[in-house]
Amino acid sequence: MWKNAGIALLLLVLLMMATGCQLTQPAFTRTVGNAGSAFAAAETTLSYAHEGKITYAYASSSFVNYQSELEGLDQSLPSLQGAPSKQTVQHLLDLYKPAIQAVDAPCLNQSCNWRAQVASLNRASKAFLEAGGS
Amino acid sequence: MKKWFSITLGIVTATGGFLDAGTVATSGEAGAKFGLGLIWAVLLATVAVILLVEMIGRFTALSQKTYADAIRENFGFKFYLLPLISGIIAESLLLAAEIGGIAIALSLFTGISWHYLFPVAALLVWILSWRAPFSLIENGPALLGLITLSFLVGIVVLGGPPRELLPTLWKPDIKQGELADYLFLVAAILGATISPYLLYFYSSGAREEKWSRDSLLLNRVTAIVGMSFGSLGSISLLVLGAIVLRPLNISSSTLGELGLAMAKPLGPLGAYLFAGALFATCLGAALEVMLGVSYNIAQGFGWEWGENKKPVEAARFNLVLTIILLVAVAIGLFGTDPLQLALLASTVIALFLPISLTPFLFIMNDPDYLGDHTNGRFANIAIICVLIIAFIVAVIALPLEILTGGG
Amino acid sequence: MAGQKDQLLVMHNIIDNQLETKDQCKIGRVADIEAELCDDGKLVLTNLVTGPQALATRISSRLRPVAEFLLRGRFEHHIPISEVKEIGPTLRLRGMAKDYSVGQSDRWIAEHILRWIPGNGR
Repeated sequence: MWKNAGIALLLLVLLMMATGCQLTQPAFTRTVGNAGSAFAAAETTLSYAHEGKITYAYASSSFVNYQSELEGLDQSLPSLQGAPSKQTVQHLLDLYKPAIQAVDAPCLNQSCNWRAQVASLNRASKAFLEAGGS
Repeated sequence: MKKWFSITLGIVTATGGFLDAGTVATSGEAGAKFGLGLIWAVLLATVAVILLVEMIGRFTALSQKTYADAIRENFGFKFYLLPLISGIIAESLLLAAEIGGIAIALSLFTGISWHYLFPVAALLVWILSWRAPFSLIENGPALLGLITLSFLVGIVVLGGPPRELLPTLWKPDIKQGELADYLFLVAAILGATISPYLLYFYSSGAREEKWSRDSLLLNRVTAIVGMSFGSLGSISLLVLGAIVLRPLNISSSTLGELGLAMAKPLGPLGAYLFAGALFATCLGAALEVMLGVSYNIAQGFGWEWGENKKPVEAARFNLVLTIILLVAVAIGLFGTDPLQLALLASTVIALFLPISLTPFLFIMNDPDYLGDHTNGRFANIAIICVLIIAFIVAVIALPLEILTGGG
Repeated sequence: MAGQKDQLLVMHNIIDNQLETKDQCKIGRVADIEAELCDDGKLVLTNLVTGPQALATRISSRLRPVAEFLLRGRFEHHIPISEVKEIGPTLRLRGMAKDYSVGQSDRWIAEHILRWIPGNGR
């Protein structure tokens, strides 16, 4: 009885992993989609901070987490399985650069150009989300 | 009257057991990604947990034995090692995640990076568990946990879920390639909610509170009110994620993002209420996880235990407490994002859920412990249903974690 | 006088049970039991055994020589069955905690390890 249960279990797991190709997205799509969400979160956080919806302290700590989520994507992106074309990847990397600068050093006072940062985050998030199939 | 303050045991068990870094994370993500389409999973988890908590509370009140006592005494040392070892691994990871959650909450208030605040959070948890009497451990996080009621205020100010969101309740919007993510969240919600440490903590708490035959009604009310409270908090976060984050394409993959959903209706106060709630739930959870494991070990080996005793009066119990914390701190120093740690811990818990819960079926029918209050047919059927759910979750959790890369 | 079947039942119900002293101190759980074969063919319980060595043997009999080598019986404690006043999920003993050597671990840890941690309540 246990042997049959074990075989059934194994088949179930194998079935899941085999159909995993339809169950889930390829690595590229998933990574890019997550990055798009992270950029969107960064954009919203920055806007909210300047609209007075959250404090600068809250925003600053949030960006620490966005940094760890988005760091190093320019290294890993080109080699991910499922990338559409070299142009798409290059386009994403071009938008990544100014956006990651905004994430690493977000403008959280009145003296710097925060609107430009919001714009670059917005462009990056839209492009990444589109590439991620949203 | 004083006995009815024991309801705070239920609320804190819920604040720490139901709502923790893991459930805050999964609720937010569930709402942000799938609208209202995972509320059924939260409700299912709520019903299961109410059943289990009520049962173990009844068991302990009548037999004066805790869950760990019962497992060792009824299944022997060898079997006992299974939930023990799996528990130690899973709870150490989870404890690291909860301390990380406290650190993130503190960072949202202060603007200091959570990496620096991590040791502060660990110290706070240790001090409370080392010296604080059980009543403080119970009432502190419980009172703070009431902050989660502010989520409802946020939802009301936002005008509730917009009409187009309502169909997702019964027809979740699962896009191409997102089925694995959906199923993973189902498993994660169930695994994050139906956690065995909750049962070790609650049954030990029942002994700390000196529950007896007279406490059966109190136990029932506590279980239902407490867990429903936790469920309410979880569903509120899910709805907030659905209303605010989903249209913005934010997937709530970091803890701070969910605060934005409170900031929209309530401004900076809203964001801080979220941070406060995160602090309270992660603190409650950290204490519960830490104590849950220590209770399990001390009771399983037959040592003195108890938060109302001075450390030297229950030396081995308190030593274990400290060691578990040090292990969690060591894990936390790797700097892994608490949310990812919490999801990983939930997967480990999910894997061993059937082993951790099967003893229920036997002990709740043992007249040596329960006299004539053993389970009726309905209760036994309920346990079997929970076990079937646990088994399914255990089977799908690991493949889904791998397929989705941890959500 | 308990019959053979009752004796067997008692053995099953004793292992892994909680040991509690007269002053309500929990001093451990029964890891193993020792029995003697009497002249009249009856198996009589003589001692309760606690300690990591006995626990290791419970996990697997192959661990016995390893456990003996590492621990050399230093943590093994024997409690005569005559010390047991009441049998049940908790075995109540006649003496106080200080009468039994197995209760020393908590004291040892309190004295040698916990004293270095502030707020230990000594």
